[in-house]
Amino acid sequence: MSNFSRAAAAECPRCGASLHSRKSKAVERTAALLIAAAICYVPANVLPVLVTTTLGGSEPDTILGGVALLYESGSWVLALVVLVASVMIPIGKIAVLVYLVFVAKRTVATDQRQCTRLFRMVEFIGRWSMLDVFVDAFVVALVQLGPLMSVRPGPGVPFFAATAVLTMFAASAFDPRLMWDRLRPGLDHG
Amino acid sequence: MDEKDAGPLPPPAAAARRFSISKVWIIPVVAAAIALGLAFQRIAQEGPTVTITFKSVSGVEPGKTQVRYKDVVIGLVTAVHFSPDFRTVEVSAKIAKEAEGLMTEGASFWIVRPRVTLSEVSGLGTLLSGNYIGFERGRPDRVMRHFTGLESGRVVDRDAPGRRFTVHAHDAQHIDVGLPVYYQGIQVGQVTSFELAADGHAVDVKIFVDAPYDAQVRASTRFWNASGIDVSVNASGVSLRTESLLSLFVGGIAFGNASANAGEPPAPEGAGFALYRDRETAMKQPDPNERRFVLYFNEALDGVEPGSPVKFLGIRAGEVTQVGMAFDPRTHRMRGRLEITFWPERLIERLPTAQVQDALALDRSAKLRNAFLEDMVMRHGLRARLRVASLVTGQSYVAFEYLDHPPAVRVDWKSEPLELPVAPGVLPAFEEKLSALLDKFDALPLQEIAGDMRALIGDARTTLRGLDVLTADIDRTAVPKFAATMEDARAALNAAERMLDGASATLVGPDAPGQRELRSALQEVTRAARSLRTLSDSIERHPESLVRGRAADSSP
Repeated sequence: MSNFSRAAAAECPRCGASLHSRKSKAVERTAALLIAAAICYVPANVLPVLVTTTLGGSEPDTILGGVALLYESGSWVLALVVLVASVMIPIGKIAVLVYLVFVAKRTVATDQRQCTRLFRMVEFIGRWSMLDVFVDAFVVALVQLGPLMSVRPGPGVPFFAATAVLTMFAASAFDPRLMWDRLRPGLDHG
Repeated sequence: MDEKDAGPLPPPAAAARRFSISKVWIIPVVAAAIALGLAFQRIAQEGPTVTITFKSVSGVEPGKTQVRYKDVVIGLVTAVHFSPDFRTVEVSAKIAKEAEGLMTEGASFWIVRPRVTLSEVSGLGTLLSGNYIGFERGRPDRVMRHFTGLESGRVVDRDAPGRRFTVHAHDAQHIDVGLPVYYQGIQVGQVTSFELAADGHAVDVKIFVDAPYDAQVRASTRFWNASGIDVSVNASGVSLRTESLLSLFVGGIAFGNASANAGEPPAPEGAGFALYRDRETAMKQPDPNERRFVLYFNEALDGVEPGSPVKFLGIRAGEVTQVGMAFDPRTHRMRGRLEITFWPERLIERLPTAQVQDALALDRSAKLRNAFLEDMVMRHGLRARLRVASLVTGQSYVAFEYLDHPPAVRVDWKSEPLELPVAPGVLPAFEEKLSALLDKFDALPLQEIAGDMRALIGDARTTLRGLDVLTADIDRTAVPKFAATMEDARAALNAAERMLDGASATLVGPDAPGQRELRSALQEVTRAARSLRTLSDSIERHPESLVRGRAADSSP
């Protein structure tokens, strides 16, 4: 049933659209989107996300730099929140999805129940991973004090947003049923 | 790619799988392309990192301090660390790619700090932004990555039209970076830097003169310190001068040209000049081919000092350089000795144009010049003498004049410096006469003269009394009538005394008419009385002279 050629053959008797028993090319798409997300994550962290211009001059801040700054200034709770939301969650999402892709490709043996739970969590959390972009949008809109101080979004922001969006797409492109297919050896296509 | 488009014959599954690449791979490829593109752009934009060595780096922070050129940020300080010997500080700065071409030999870096002086306020931006590193372009030939920072910044843009010169000052008093440079009272430039000269005895002041005024700086241009007010008292009176109101407070350097070198070509870039104390000194600096002479005076050298003018027929032609004494070993006599410098150019520039060339030729040839001078001295009677320039200040000057009947002199034309003959000064005689005249006017002793007259008459009375006695004798013995005559004479003398009393009152009175005439008359009387006294003395000493006449060898 998960055979691609067979899936291509199935058609809707009413509208003629091709039917698939599984999401079409789920593993390939997920993998491609994950790679894109991982690539985008590098400039998202290297490039500044906020450029603060005061009288003295402008100062760019990256995500990790902001975390360090928050921690140094004593607000370690905030530093932790930003660290979790902007660093750990995107990395975790990518790592989890990569793992699931390997599970679906049956290269790794695992507990399918746990993996499905993990996948649901990634899907759920995905929509919250734009925290940094939201904070940026707020700050940029609020802190516009003319010549005294202004804040501009840095070039890292679109990359960070792209990472979040791409991981969400990757999660939705993934078909968790593929992980369970291996439990039915008859469908195994090696 | 998609199996559906593969045609009516489905290809074998294995082959299909091998070539089936989903369109979704475009996404990571695009992402990678963008990321790589950015990375390449970054690397391509990566400028050089240069190291600048400073003695101290107040206010320089890594990651914050910028490098600016023409107020445009061209770099950022990335690290600050000590040199291996801990004597200096090395500042690493990442320079923008577009400014890479500026990092060449001769480029200069300095730390810009806020600066508030009387003449300007600069670098105020640094109060808020922190200090930054200023930059100025060098020569565009040799690429360099290690620079030595300047202690004080350049204040003049390298691209500004104009030229740089060096002025050698005795000390850096009143000198500061940014100090204005004046020409004819206009600010035409400024001091860009100053440093101790290589020999350690002077200060080299680098100045920048803006175009088009830089053309006024010529080889013989004089620079002087225009600080504050310049007050000088000399034979020409009191002169007070200041370049501008600003220079009154902050000082400045001024330069000027003597009218003689108007046609000179402008001095080359970087030419060096001496900085004189004031305008006076600067402008009367000896001309390149000055002549030195020495003069010996037998009179007092009152009012002559180094710097006193030397005039030729009333035209300023030099100055006294040294006032001293000399000892004549033959006569054991101390004489005043003056050394003077003589500037032929000053005289030549006053000649009519037609004669200038001849005069210059004369001036150039030592032989012709000496012959000319000899003629002037021996045939025309050219002599030096002291003259009072100002009765108020008592200043004197040396005047060269032609005498009508000069006494013959011997001049050693080989001596060096040449000793020129002098004329017994106009100065002492003049002064004597003047003071005598003033004394006379001041305290003409009319009262005393009148008193003297009275005393004289008193004497006369005593004499007459003596005569009285004599007359009485004669009266008694020989001529009784004579007594009456003498009586009459006494009455007449009394009358004369009364009259003289009246006359003296009239003379002393403030509104006395014809006082001057009377005064001179009285002087005549005094003189006559003096002559009388001399005569009587003479007769007293040589009564025989009345009979024999005066002896040839005797003198009164």
